[in-house]
Amino acid sequence: MPQEYPPQEELQEEATEERTPKGESDLWRLLRYSLLRLGALFIAVVVGVYLMILIANMGGYVDEIRRAEIAFNVAQQVRGSPEFAELPEERRREIMDSMVETEEKRLGLHEPFYLRSIYYLRDALTLDLGRSENLTSDAGSRQVRHIILERLPPTLFLFLTAQIITFFAGLFIALALSRQYGSKLDKFMVALAPTSAAPSWFYGIFLILIFAALLGWLPFGRMVAAPPPDDTLMYAMSVIRHLILPVTAIVLGALFLTIYQWRTYFLIYSSEDYVEMARAKGLSGRQIERRYILRPTLPPIITSFLLGIITVWMGQIVLETVFTWPGLGRLLFQAIGLYDTPVIIGVIVIFAFLLAITVFLLDFIYAIVDPRVKVGGEGGQAA
Amino acid sequence: MNTQNDQFRVENLYLSFSTRRGTVQAVEDVTFTMNRGQTMVLVGESGCGKTSLGRAILRLLPRNVQDYRGKVFLNSQDIMKLSREKFRREIRWKKIAMVPQAAMNSLNPVIKVSEQVIEPLIKRGTGRERRKAMEKAREVFQLVGVPQDFLERYPFELSGGMRQRVILAMALITNPDLVILDEPTSALDLLTQANIMNVLKRIKQERGFTFILITHDIATSSELADLAGIMYAGQLVEFSRAYNLFREPFHPYSRKLMASVPSLQEKKELEYLPGQPPSLLEPPQTCRFLDRCPDSFERCEQEPPVIEVKEGHQVKCWLYK
Repeated sequence: MPQEYPPQEELQEEATEERTPKGESDLWRLLRYSLLRLGALFIAVVVGVYLMILIANMGGYVDEIRRAEIAFNVAQQVRGSPEFAELPEERRREIMDSMVETEEKRLGLHEPFYLRSIYYLRDALTLDLGRSENLTSDAGSRQVRHIILERLPPTLFLFLTAQIITFFAGLFIALALSRQYGSKLDKFMVALAPTSAAPSWFYGIFLILIFAALLGWLPFGRMVAAPPPDDTLMYAMSVIRHLILPVTAIVLGALFLTIYQWRTYFLIYSSEDYVEMARAKGLSGRQIERRYILRPTLPPIITSFLLGIITVWMGQIVLETVFTWPGLGRLLFQAIGLYDTPVIIGVIVIFAFLLAITVFLLDFIYAIVDPRVKVGGEGGQAA
Repeated sequence: MNTQNDQFRVENLYLSFSTRRGTVQAVEDVTFTMNRGQTMVLVGESGCGKTSLGRAILRLLPRNVQDYRGKVFLNSQDIMKLSREKFRREIRWKKIAMVPQAAMNSLNPVIKVSEQVIEPLIKRGTGRERRKAMEKAREVFQLVGVPQDFLERYPFELSGGMRQRVILAMALITNPDLVILDEPTSALDLLTQANIMNVLKRIKQERGFTFILITHDIATSSELADLAGIMYAGQLVEFSRAYNLFREPFHPYSRKLMASVPSLQEKKELEYLPGQPPSLLEPPQTCRFLDRCPDSFERCEQEPPVIEVKEGHQVKCWLYK
């Protein structure tokens, strides 16, 4: 019955399989990955902005409209003006043509659209966003860039606060629920998941109704009391008071679905063999949870968070309007109301950049938490 | 029952699960004794409770456990009496380690191999304790034949055979009194299987580790075995010195099982066993093997007792009463 095996099992038969040179350190991997991701995202932004330019210009049709507009205006002007009235028809036509030409040249319309779309793209990417038509910044500038830069910090402040709260609250509640899977609390939270179908501003309206209108505990909107307190501490307190409702609205709009989703991830990952192994190794419950459940689950959690954030950016436009929060979303809303095209385009470009930066940051974190992330697909196998 | 200091003894171990369709009796009244340095092979068909027995010893139980009782003596201490926390701290991996069935997935994909291997040795991962643990890790890596620079790799950078060895190294790092190997080679190709078995053989000879090897590959495991147990439908139907059991099995099931193993030494007609084992869901109170047994008679309608046919050779069959 005993079988003979080839002698000398230590042939290291597998050693040749590993192709990845060990010289490649984690830092270098991260750097390379980040650069490539950055490149890819930049291309995505360029394509997105260019598409927006094409759409906003209706593929060049807007130029036709503007040309017609110029011709019409010039014709009106020439016809209405008594100084041209005496001139013969032909001379008048000549004058009109030259005026149209000058006007088109002034606006750059004499160049073909594809060329001008490239100029637009260049201007957008270098944040040379032009002048607004109606809106001014609080400091009085009409540079779109200044207007936007003034509105950016409140938006980021609100967004980051809400996202950080959502992320950590979601993570810990989901982990706690996965621990007591099937309990009453667990079932209750799962039942709450559909509440995330309503957008954050929807909750915002109700929160304002209850806490501002009915109870009068918190302000209706804006970022700081008017007039703003002089004292720095008082100022900060005032901002925090104003922050509570919008942040609650964003968190409410996303939290329960997030919890539901992540709780499911935790449940799936806690039935992995290595978790069982960790248990067999006699590790403590906390150690198992941290190293064997939380750590391996982080990559999918970050992905799902990333996808959620895109929706949140959208919702923030309306939310800021509901809370009259002096951010980008409200600016966009105002600009649309006033047909202020340069501002609209400027805000959209900024949003494209913001989204790209968010994606990049999360990708970067992803690469840190998951060593399997590699560029070029060498060695690593998706497990 | 008193046991000597160097013994591992399982006494009347029961384990059952409650499921929606009823009680599943996975391990029923299992008793055996082994000495330090011995290797016991536990053979049986799929679903006969081998793995459950291994896990029951290490108290790795799912949530739906219904009945879990019996005695497990390790160095004359009944470890079944220990509290959960105490069992975790003192027994798991310190005294009893395990190489699980799915070794391929038993390494955490996002943590370096070294971290996972030294984990059982250290409480806090810094300073001298850590360096000593790393030293030990290098030593066991050497022992199981893994190049030492693999320590700094992630599990996905290792092949299946290497992962298996890493897990083996992890099981040996604390110098446990008992290592349960649950089909350590089942997911590997033949050559790698042979390699791993040879590693086990060498470790056993050089270091005198005590193994329980759960397998259904009788031919491969026979070289390693000092003791052998045959499991059928949750029960240990035969247990004895491996040499005796493989040469001269008593239980009809064991006989059929041995007859189905091909051998290089002799030419023989391979036999097979018709039918399938009874469901462990509410098993019958007769002999479990009744339906398939070629030698059954009336008494087999009752549960057979464990009979010692020879010195240290137990058979659970009416034929030898």
